Amino acid sequence: MFKGKILTAGLAVVLAATLASCSNGNNSSDSTTAPGNSASGSEDTSAVTYKYFSFGAPKKQVLASDTTIGKELQKQTSVDWNIEYLVGDGDTKAGVMIASGDYPDIIDSSNQMAKLMNAGAFIPLDDLIEKYGPNIKRVYGPYFDKFRQEDGKIYFFPYGANIGYVSEPNFQTGFYIQRSVLKEFNYPKITTLDEYFDLIKQYKEKHPQVDGKDTIGFATFAGEQGSFFALQNPAMHLAGYPNDGSTMVDMKTHEAKLVAGSDYQKRWIGKLNAANAEGLVDSESFTMNRDQYLAKLTSGRVLGYFSYSWQVGDATNNLKKAGSDDKRYVALPIVFDKDIKDQYIDPPGFVNNYGIGITVKAKDPVRIIKYFDNLLKEENQILVQWGIKDQSYSVDENGRFTYANDEQRQMHEDPEQSQKFGFDYFNYSWPRYGNNSVLEDGNAYGPGNQPEVASFGYTDGDKKLLAAYDAKTFSELFSNPDERPWSPAWSIALEQGSPEQMFITKADDLQRKYLPTMILDTPTNFNKDWDEYMGQFNKLNKKTYEDFITKAVQDRVAGKW
Amino acid sequence: MNKTNLFFKRLIQQKTLAFMCIPFVIWAFVFKYLPLWGWTMVFQNYKPARSYSEQEWAGLKHFRILFEDNTFYRVLRNTLVMSTVQLVLGFVTAITLALLLNELKNIIFKRVVQTVSYLPHFISWVVASSIVLTVLSPDGIINLLLTKLHLLDKPELWMGKGNYFWGILGVTQVWKDVGWNTIIYLAAITSIDPSQYEAAEIDGANRFQRMFNITLPGLKPVIIILLIMNLGNILESGFEPQYLLGNGMNMDYSENLDIFVLKYGLGMGNFSLGTAAGIFKTVVSFIFLFSANHIAKRMGESRLF
Repeated sequence: MFKGKILTAGLAVVLAATLASCSNGNNSSDSTTAPGNSASGSEDTSAVTYKYFSFGAPKKQVLASDTTIGKELQKQTSVDWNIEYLVGDGDTKAGVMIASGDYPDIIDSSNQMAKLMNAGAFIPLDDLIEKYGPNIKRVYGPYFDKFRQEDGKIYFFPYGANIGYVSEPNFQTGFYIQRSVLKEFNYPKITTLDEYFDLIKQYKEKHPQVDGKDTIGFATFAGEQGSFFALQNPAMHLAGYPNDGSTMVDMKTHEAKLVAGSDYQKRWIGKLNAANAEGLVDSESFTMNRDQYLAKLTSGRVLGYFSYSWQVGDATNNLKKAGSDDKRYVALPIVFDKDIKDQYIDPPGFVNNYGIGITVKAKDPVRIIKYFDNLLKEENQILVQWGIKDQSYSVDENGRFTYANDEQRQMHEDPEQSQKFGFDYFNYSWPRYGNNSVLEDGNAYGPGNQPEVASFGYTDGDKKLLAAYDAKTFSELFSNPDERPWSPAWSIALEQGSPEQMFITKADDLQRKYLPTMILDTPTNFNKDWDEYMGQFNKLNKKTYEDFITKAVQDRVAGKW
Repeated sequence: MNKTNLFFKRLIQQKTLAFMCIPFVIWAFVFKYLPLWGWTMVFQNYKPARSYSEQEWAGLKHFRILFEDNTFYRVLRNTLVMSTVQLVLGFVTAITLALLLNELKNIIFKRVVQTVSYLPHFISWVVASSIVLTVLSPDGIINLLLTKLHLLDKPELWMGKGNYFWGILGVTQVWKDVGWNTIIYLAAITSIDPSQYEAAEIDGANRFQRMFNITLPGLKPVIIILLIMNLGNILESGFEPQYLLGNGMNMDYSENLDIFVLKYGLGMGNFSLGTAAGIFKTVVSFIFLFSANHIAKRMGESRLF
C-alpha cells in the first residue's frame, strides 16, 4: 500500500510538472517586452551573452568571445554573442520562428526580411537611436529615409551605408573563361557572346579531353532550388543592364520591363540551344546540386561558365590554392553586340530590404543598441575589416593600410584563420559602413578595395593576364557603372502573398520548367518551344508586376524610398 | 448494475493504471488536439503579428484559391502516385527480403546482408540524394555501364526527364529503407511456432510451400496493421527526397503537396493557404485510414481499432 502511495505521489509530481511547463510556455509567448522600458539594464556592465541568429550563408556556430574580434568587443562592452546560422531551409525556419514567436535577441534577416517585418518580429529603433546612437546617426543618418518602413519608423540596419566611395579592384562576375583558352589563342579581346562560344568551340576541338575526361564547353548552375537566376540573369547582362533582379529598367523613362519572355531572353536561350547542338553546353547544368557544380569547376574540365563571384568563392579559392594559373578562370564583360556597353559592375546603390534588427524578445534593447553604436566607431570598423595593426595588417610610411607579408594576407583569406580571428563573423551582417566606404584617413574600408592589397595578392599568372589586356586590376576589364538612383531594383520589397509575389513565383516556376528543356531540344524545335512557353507565360498577369516595379523605381528616383 | 456504474467501479479498481495514463492523455491533448485550434486560421487572412481578435475573417477564400489552382491538382496527383509507388514497392520488397532472409541458414551471411541493407537508412536524405545525383549524372556509373554495354548511344540525363522521376524516387526509397522495414517482419516471423514448420516438413512441404503456407499467413496480421497505418499516411509522400532531387526539368512530376505548402504557404508567408492544404491532407488521410480499417473489420482481419 505504501509503495502504491509513493508511485501515486511520483505521478502527481510528473503531472504537475507537465502542467506547469505548459502554462509557462503560454505565458512567455504572450508577454511582449516594451522597448526602452528596461531602464534597469541600461547602465549595466555585467557580463551577458545574447543570441544572434543569421539567415545568411551558413557558417559554424560560435561564441563571439572565441574569436579575436569578438573578444576585443567584449572587453569594451561586456557583451558576448552566441552566433548561430541557418541550417536547412530559410523559408521553413522563418515560418516556424514566426509561428512560435520564439526569436533570438537579434536577427540578420537575409532574404527573410519581408516575412519577419510582416510578423512584427522587430522593435522600432528610432527612440533608442535618438538616445544612445551618435555613431549610428553619423553612419546611417544620410540613409535613414531609404529604409524607414511604411509607418515611418526604423526597424533594422541594412549593410550598405557607404561613407565616401571607392570601387572594387578585383571585380569578378559574369562570363568566366578558363585562362588556358585565352592563352591558347594568345589573349584575344573578346566582347560578344558569339565570340565567347566560338573561342570555347575552337579550344574544345583542339583539346577534346582533359585528364582523360571529356572537356565541357559551358556550364551554369540552374539545378538547385533558388539558384535558377544563374540562367535568367545573363540575358539582362548581355543586353547591357546591371543586375536589377527580374527586370530591366530603362535609363530614360525608368520603366521596368521583365527579363522573362523578352527578346533578350529569347536570344540568350536561343544561343544556348545552338551551342548545345554543337555539344558545348553541359546538360547537367540543370540538374546538379551545388557540390557537384563546384566540383566540376575545380576539375579543370569546364572551359566557361556564368556565375556571380559570391556563388563560386570556394571553387576559385581552391583553384588558387592548387597553384595552376592556367586552370583558373577570369570573368569577362560579355555582351550581345559590340556596341553594347556592359554593366556588370553594380552602380552605387542601397540595399534596403534586409539587415539586422533587434527582436521583440530581446532582453535589453538598450544594451544592444549601445553595442551597435560602439561597433560603428571608426576604430571598431577598422577592427572588423582590417583587424589589429601589425598583427593582421600593417601601415606603410604613407599611412596606407596594406599586408606586409603572406601571413597577414592568410589571416583574411584562409577560411579557417578568418573564422578564428572573427573576420568571417564580424565583417558583414552587423551594423557597418557600406562595402565601398572610405576611412577618414583615405584608406579603403574593406581590404579587398585597397589597391595595395589587391595587387599584393596577384600571382604571376594574374599579372601576365592583366598585362596582356593592358589593365592594372580585374575590374578595369569592365565598364564603369552608370548612375542609377533606384539601384538595385531587386531590393524592392514585395508584399507577402501579394499578386506581384504570386506572379513572380509562378513565372519563375514556368521558366524553371521550360528554359532547360528548350535549351536541350534540337534547334529546329526551338521556335515552336518558345511559342509554347510564351503561350503559358502570357496567361500570367505580368503587367501588374511591371507596373508595380516601375512605380517603385520612379518613387525611388523621386527620392521616396 | 448499469453500464456507468460498472465503468466507475472498474475505474476505481484500476486507479493506479488510470493515473499513470493521465500525463500521456495530457500530452496527447496538448500536442495533438490543441494545435487543431490553429485550423481556424484557414478562415482568416492570417497575419502573425495580430492577436486572434484582430484577425481578418475570410470565409472559405483560401480553400477556393487552393481548388482553383491548377498547380494544386498536379501536386496532388504527384503526391498520390509517389506514395502509392512507395507503399507498394516498400511492402513487396520488405516482405520478400524478410522471407528470403528467413530461409538463410548461414548466420554470418544473413547478418551481413541485413546490415548492408539497412545501413542506408542511417544516412540523411541530403547525403543520399547527393549519391543518387552522382550515380545518375551523365558521367556517373549508370550511364557508363549502359553506354559500355551499348544499351545507350549517349549518356542519358536521368534527372532531367520528368517521367523517370517516380521510378527513380521509388528505387531510391527502396534502397534506403528496405533493410529497415524488414526488421519488423523478421521479428514477426520469429514469433511463428516452429512446430508448424516441423509438421509441414514431415508432411513433405518444400521450402516455397512452407513460405507461402506458414510464414506469409503468420505475417498477415502485421502486414494488415502496417498497411492500415500507412494508408493513413497516403498523402505523406515525404518531403526531403522530392525537394532535394527535384529540379526545373522534372518539377511537373517531383513537386508534391508538402513542397506546394512550403512554396505557397510558408515561403510566401501565406499561412492560411498552407493550412488549407494541410487540412485537405488530413481529411483525405482520415478517409483512407477509416475505410481501410473498416474493410479489415468486414473481412474479419486484425485491425487498428
